[in-house]
Amino acid sequence: MPTSPMTPECKQINDVDDLLRRFEGLGYVTDRALATAVYLVIKLRKPLLIEGHAGLGKTEVAKVLASMLGTRLIRLQCYEGLDVNSAVYEWNYQKQLLAIKIEEKIERTVEEKEKHIFSKEFLLERPLLQSILAEEASPVLLIDEIDRADEAFEAFLLELLSDFQITVPEMGTIKAKHLPYVILTSNRTRELSDALKRRCLYHWIDYPSYEKEMKIVRVRLPGIEEELGSQVVRFVQAVRQLDLAKPPGVTETLDCAQSAMSLGKHRLDVQTVEETLGCVAKSLDDGNKLKAAGIEKMLS
Amino acid sequence: MPQPEQVHSAFSILEFCQFARKKGFSNGVQQTLSALEAAKAIGLVDLQVLELALRAVLCSSKEEWDLFTRIFELFLSSRESTSGTDSKVGHEPRFNALRPEAGSRALVGLSGSDAGQAEGGGKSVSGASAQERLQKVDLADVPVDDLLALEQISTRLFRKMSLRLSRRRKIKNLRESVDVRRTIRRSIPRGGDPITLAFRGRKPRKHKLVIFLDVSGSMNSYSLFLVRFAYALQKYFKSVNTFLFSTNVVEITDLLRTRDLPDALRGLSQRAAGWAGGTKIGDSLRDFNRQQGRRLLSPSTVFIILSDGWDTGEPELLAGELRDTRRRVRKLIWLNPLLGLEDYAPVTRGMSAALPHVDVFSAAHNLESLLALERYL
Repeated sequence: MPTSPMTPECKQINDVDDLLRRFEGLGYVTDRALATAVYLVIKLRKPLLIEGHAGLGKTEVAKVLASMLGTRLIRLQCYEGLDVNSAVYEWNYQKQLLAIKIEEKIERTVEEKEKHIFSKEFLLERPLLQSILAEEASPVLLIDEIDRADEAFEAFLLELLSDFQITVPEMGTIKAKHLPYVILTSNRTRELSDALKRRCLYHWIDYPSYEKEMKIVRVRLPGIEEELGSQVVRFVQAVRQLDLAKPPGVTETLDCAQSAMSLGKHRLDVQTVEETLGCVAKSLDDGNKLKAAGIEKMLS
Repeated sequence: MPQPEQVHSAFSILEFCQFARKKGFSNGVQQTLSALEAAKAIGLVDLQVLELALRAVLCSSKEEWDLFTRIFELFLSSRESTSGTDSKVGHEPRFNALRPEAGSRALVGLSGSDAGQAEGGGKSVSGASAQERLQKVDLADVPVDDLLALEQISTRLFRKMSLRLSRRRKIKNLRESVDVRRTIRRSIPRGGDPITLAFRGRKPRKHKLVIFLDVSGSMNSYSLFLVRFAYALQKYFKSVNTFLFSTNVVEITDLLRTRDLPDALRGLSQRAAGWAGGTKIGDSLRDFNRQQGRRLLSPSTVFIILSDGWDTGEPELLAGELRDTRRRVRKLIWLNPLLGLEDYAPVTRGMSAALPHVDVFSAAHNLESLLALERYL
């Protein structure tokens, strides 16, 4: 893999603990394991694949990394049927057609015309091309929910992640000036290919411990009363033990705490939980399961 | 690459990488190089950070992630004891005992090992109890002479059907939308007027097929033909995965990945044929959904269950699991050979609980009914 000169920003990060402190300074509470992984992303310039359940801050890692490095965040949201045209580049057809019409009267050879309409002016840069074209510093490239894209796209990505270059047939090969820091996230709705996984560092985000989750609540909701916060966290952690289709993540904890706060509650009681059930249980089945398990019992 | 003296005296990265590989990790030489780079970047002062770094580099799935700490400890303890090899051997069985736990099967598959090993992994998924109870069950309902003839006919018919299906797909999707890109390219030699339009259609997507076979005694002969049916269609599907169930689930995809399918099937009927005891469809389906659902169930999956619906488990559980499965797949087909009987009505508790959640409910008692399945695929 080609190496690029270190940017001044990453020289400043001395070790894993330093990175951990910076992340917390930016409002992202994490542990040494993730800090080590991100540290290695910066040092080894390898992509990092983060897997874990929904709502545990996978996407947030890339955002925080970008703001820590003071660089641009380029995001590619994957979905089923995502193709190269919307991920890498596309020609601006309308503009090309117009240009052809306008140039009809101008004395130019066909070759010149072709060269003109396939110039950068008519190129629509999609996220992956943007990440390669970055001029000043290495951007952070977030490839979100890669498990939703199909295998064909994954294979294409593999090529990009090993060479960091993109070939546009009409223009030639474009090589990255600054290798982007790549973060991939996956919800594990399907298994990714071995080849892709082999190329990446790996991190599994699990549900946080009570202490860690409390810390997150305190950092994200500075105004919250300690009593209410710890009640919400204990409640959500109890809900996670139930066998729900969609167990609540940290996002749900924060939602639940936020809504209790906005309702002006100082304690979490059965009524409040029932009123804000949608924060924690994301389907009718889950809601019923939760009620059947006894909200009161889980609050105590 | 770091020099040997840079490496922590009590820890050899290289040795650890080999150790992890022996334990079923899928790391290759590339990972070893990355591990060395990572160790260099970390600086090797803190064993905990080193462990975390190696974990990030060497793992590539949650299963490996979960196992890593134990492997790391195992490695350290094996290095601490002076009689290194002895203690390693001593630990080995303990570690293998962990393997059949949920998820570790993926490790066996990932390790790129030979078929024999994968086969062993596939069988051990249901734990020791299944293997204990694995015994020969008589399944010869069809006389052997007829069986051979029937096999030949089925192979021919299924192959024909496969061809028919693949052809039908190609003719169907010809033009869906104008391909602007190509249209413009073609217009250049004509001075920029898009005279001939270029079209593009959707690439026919292949579906996955998952077969879930009841192996209670009466079902075996039906199962064998359904498997034959499915494997004749292998080209048409992206993948075919086959599972046997009675009170628990065993994957037999590996056994069937062979050129000589009839042989494999005969071997299978000798080896894996049913476990005595009741059928628990709901429980089996739940186990499947938990362990394999993520890998195999998707909007492009066709899920076929072959069972007579005699269920000794809870009907509510079956209904719930079927609903879950149904939500995640493209089509859920339930084949019930008893449907071929004239006076059969699906009124057993299990069957009536299942029916509302099934897309297609059909007989599969003879070749004709199997061939009729074609239109649902």
